[in-house]
Amino acid sequence: MENVIELRELTKRYGARRGLAGLTLEVRTGEVFGFLGPNGAGKSTTIRLLLDLIRPTSGTATVLGLSPRAQGTELRARTGYLAGDFVCDGRQNVRGYLRFLGALRGGVPQQHIDDLADRLGLDQNTRIRKLSKGNRQKVGLVQAFMHRPELLVLDEPTTGLDPLVQQTFLDLVTETAADGRTVFMSSHVMSEVEAVADRVGIIRDGRLAALDTVAHLRAGAVRDVEVTFETPVPQHAFADLPGADRLGLDITRTTLSGQVVGSPDALIKALAGYSVTGLRATEPALEEVFHSYYAGAEAAPRTSPSTAA
Amino acid sequence: MNTAVFTKSLTDSRRALAGWALGTAAVGMTYASTYPSQRDNTASLPEALREALHIDATAAGYLHASVFGVILPLLAMIYGVSTGSRALAGDEESGRLDLLLAHPVTRTSLALQRFCALTVGAGAISLLVWLAMLAIRDSAGLTSVTPAEFLAQCVNLALLAVVFGALALGLGAALGRRTVVLATTATVGVLSYTAYAVAGQIGADWLAYASPFHYYIGGEPLKNGFQWGDGAVLAVTAVTVLAVGVMRFNRRDVG
Repeated sequence: MENVIELRELTKRYGARRGLAGLTLEVRTGEVFGFLGPNGAGKSTTIRLLLDLIRPTSGTATVLGLSPRAQGTELRARTGYLAGDFVCDGRQNVRGYLRFLGALRGGVPQQHIDDLADRLGLDQNTRIRKLSKGNRQKVGLVQAFMHRPELLVLDEPTTGLDPLVQQTFLDLVTETAADGRTVFMSSHVMSEVEAVADRVGIIRDGRLAALDTVAHLRAGAVRDVEVTFETPVPQHAFADLPGADRLGLDITRTTLSGQVVGSPDALIKALAGYSVTGLRATEPALEEVFHSYYAGAEAAPRTSPSTAA
Repeated sequence: MNTAVFTKSLTDSRRALAGWALGTAAVGMTYASTYPSQRDNTASLPEALREALHIDATAAGYLHASVFGVILPLLAMIYGVSTGSRALAGDEESGRLDLLLAHPVTRTSLALQRFCALTVGAGAISLLVWLAMLAIRDSAGLTSVTPAEFLAQCVNLALLAVVFGALALGLGAALGRRTVVLATTATVGVLSYTAYAVAGQIGADWLAYASPFHYYIGGEPLKNGFQWGDGAVLAVTAVTVLAVGVMRFNRRDVG
């Protein structure tokens, strides 16, 4: 089976509001797929459709080769899910609650639960109600990963996590993918997924606005550069470079600064002719690529009374 | 079959259930033990009034009119409705239902397991009421009602709680909104009681047959023992409203 998730013209209307408008998407086995979009673009709607929590108005979804509606039990047994707003019963302590969720799956080895809780720094003896938002999110992560599912569907998984735990989470995702398992994670921030995702899909107004590999997106991305020279360089030394209009020399002609789009290869080769004393280049800011797709997007799904009638 | 939800529902509610059972039994015991002092008052009521209120001066008549006629069924209904409305609608409104349904559990199974937990709770409450009645049977002068007759009425009490529990659970399954469930079941409860109470007086006996109260106590189990037909009507009603609610639950979006 090559595709773990296959969505065909998936459409969901909530009365006059449109949640999804013909989303077609494929997620391959073993990849980490970043599902990006502004709030209200349809990310959670898509995810809830995959798990059969809601039903599509039209179109089809296939997950692990199964139909969410007809084979939901098997589908969910093989999937780990973390909701965007993870809510759980607060009366119990973490250990008891995770054991209950494990029992719903016919039992999960305690060792798996303990390992995950330890890695994320989650104290299992605390009552869930007393946990901070970040710690509650850890409970959500543990329950999603603990049965080692073939597919993980994570809706805004890093919400509320501190940077250290975010890194642990990213490690978990990487390990999962290394096992040949698949991770489908949504986010509204590119930086969250770019470190681990193989491909990203950008959803806007319930449609797929862009789909590409992170490597490819990065290739078109922008870096800030700053180069200092030992001696002043000629005024027009870099004028012939592609995209030279985004680079500029300072008044002493010893510092070149600006932006490079895509590969910095041409710049590096041009620099080689001079004596460079310092070089600084930032990581490509995919955030900007992402924002260019967002431009013009509305924050919430569009209301379209004409189509909903 | 995975019964984790059933087990969890019962263990989560064990304290509340113990409270309900002890409280209901205590209330029933307190009222029933006033029979000796009430007996004389009852005897002095005009014949027509006694007729209208379905009471006579016997122990069975007193219990029928007061303890098992008003207080206990009211408590049983409240138990059924509050438990039934929490079971699905409450979980859905708080967002907890999502997590459960994201597990390999069908919606039908979830609803049935919650219903079974509710039924066990109703049974536990009634069992304790029965034991409470047996405990005061001698001291309160209730020996004219046999333990089996008490049991027959207590079984119907449990079934009444189950009917209203199934109604609340079924409506919650179908609609997912707890306030709507509570308002609807409260209305149904009041109408059922009124229909049963006034049917005879307004000469519309048929009206009583539409009320669960009729099947709960109309056959006077305290005098006549087990009323299998009435019990069956209550059970079938519960299963039917539950089934309709679950069918709708299976078709709709949750959350």
